[in-house]
Amino acid sequence: MRRRLVDSATRGLLFLTTLAGCSLLALILTAVVGRGFPSMSIEFLTREARDFGLDGGIFHQIAGTLILTASAGIVSFPIALGSALFQTEFLKSAGLKQALRIATYTLNGVPTILFGLTGYMFFGALLGMGVSWVTGALILAVMILPTVQISVLEAIESIPAHYRESGMALGLTPWAQIRSIVLPQSFYGIVTGVLLGLARAAGETAAIMFTATAFSGAGIPRSLARPVSTLQTHILVLAQEAVNPKAVANAWGAGLALTALVFALMLSALWARSRLRLESHR
Amino acid sequence: MSPSADPQANGPERNGRYFPGRGPAYWVCAGFACVALGAAGILLGYLVAESLPALRSQGWPFLLGKDWFVGENYGALPMIYGSVMATALALALALPFALGGAVFVAEFLPARARLIVKSIMELLAGVPGIVYGLLGMSFLAPWIKDAFGLIDGNSLLAAGALLGIMVLPTVMTLSEDALRSVPAEYRENALSLGLTQTEVVFSVAVPQALPGIAGAVFLGVGRAMGETIAVLLVIGGIDRIPSPWYDVFSPGQSIPSKLGREAAESLGYGLHWNALMGLGLVLLLMTMAVAFAGNLFLRRARP
Repeated sequence: MRRRLVDSATRGLLFLTTLAGCSLLALILTAVVGRGFPSMSIEFLTREARDFGLDGGIFHQIAGTLILTASAGIVSFPIALGSALFQTEFLKSAGLKQALRIATYTLNGVPTILFGLTGYMFFGALLGMGVSWVTGALILAVMILPTVQISVLEAIESIPAHYRESGMALGLTPWAQIRSIVLPQSFYGIVTGVLLGLARAAGETAAIMFTATAFSGAGIPRSLARPVSTLQTHILVLAQEAVNPKAVANAWGAGLALTALVFALMLSALWARSRLRLESHR
Repeated sequence: MSPSADPQANGPERNGRYFPGRGPAYWVCAGFACVALGAAGILLGYLVAESLPALRSQGWPFLLGKDWFVGENYGALPMIYGSVMATALALALALPFALGGAVFVAEFLPARARLIVKSIMELLAGVPGIVYGLLGMSFLAPWIKDAFGLIDGNSLLAAGALLGIMVLPTVMTLSEDALRSVPAEYRENALSLGLTQTEVVFSVAVPQALPGIAGAVFLGVGRAMGETIAVLLVIGGIDRIPSPWYDVFSPGQSIPSKLGREAAESLGYGLHWNALMGLGLVLLLMTMAVAFAGNLFLRRARP
């Protein structure tokens, strides 16, 4: 009897901890929407910022976050895919595979601010790109590389062996094998990886705040060598003016827009992953 | 053109083993594979090379000094202390929920509900750091200020609590994976001995999954140590070790928040920059040590 009681009490306690964890999401969403919604309007989304962000909208910031994220994805995707294919399709040496894997996981654990510091030294100073769109895009591309790569790698590795064996039995060259078996079968896994990477890039502030962005005066960059303005740094600057209620209100408005963007990417990633699972169960 | 047109593409057969061809596709993929290696190398190289002048001019006091005055001396101890303290607080606050949640999800929830909880955790982990910072600044810090009667809510405790929320999903998801990988026969054996379900969980599943859970916790620690922007907004930004040292209500500074605050001031020039890169090197070594320990445990977890 006592053991039964302890059993249900423990279960209840464990349930409560889970509930607390999950209700965090509801709390956060309520807070972000509740604070951000009052500043949200069509004008806020489509007009440019004036008066150092105290007035006007966040059009340039949204555009900046989008182009920076997209260009990071465009640079990162082929590298991640090629690297994953190299590890699964070409490389036979277990030692080298292990080395590449360690490099990927190491990169995944590096604090993002360090990408900003060293990325500025390499791209900004050594290659002379300065504080610009291209510096930020390349830094973000390296930062999301492990995210995309690990996702793609797992998708390719989970292709059932008999698919591959059928290809080999037909005498397919490695390239034909990749094109007709590996890529189609891991399609949704690759999409998941790219979307997760984009979500990570879109939410990142530390790596780009002194390498790619200018707070005011930067509209939509006319060239790759110009700085951009982004939602993330816009929020950061406004948040530091905590005494001014107008600044904080606009920071929340931009925060809501950023959260919506990142969640749209995350939810699409989760959807793509569920498709992957469905396909593999067929 | 595709290398499949090349009759040699299949490569020679050596010792009866099949070797794939080394067409353009091979070399392109090989080049891309080296980008991660190269990036890791460049990162470490720059941090070491750029921090050398500061390490040389400051010597050991760089690590042990308590004062950071730009242009005079650079002591990293308050920042190291702040990073360690905020991370420790984050763990203390997050672990009960993360581990309890992991056990409940892995052992008691049906598959469908488990997928939902895991998706919620993934979304939580995806909330941008700057939004967490904004939440901490507007809600958490004022609450802490009122609850403990402080002059300023921005403190090590606020940073720790915010970090706890941020690493909870990471620790919970990975611990849950570790628990799920314990074979079902172990549980069935224990159940057949007449143990209740929670007794089975805590006497069989949790001990078996312990290395994996430890790995999850270490990876969470790494995440917490490296978080910049959320911490920057709530930690207070004072380079000082409080007295007594365990006074978590006083403001502090972590390594990433220091870097985030000052990097733009000296971008690329002078001893100040070298000292900041030195801080970055210390941070990298700390997170690498933690990640290494975590991977060691995780590898032991899956034989």
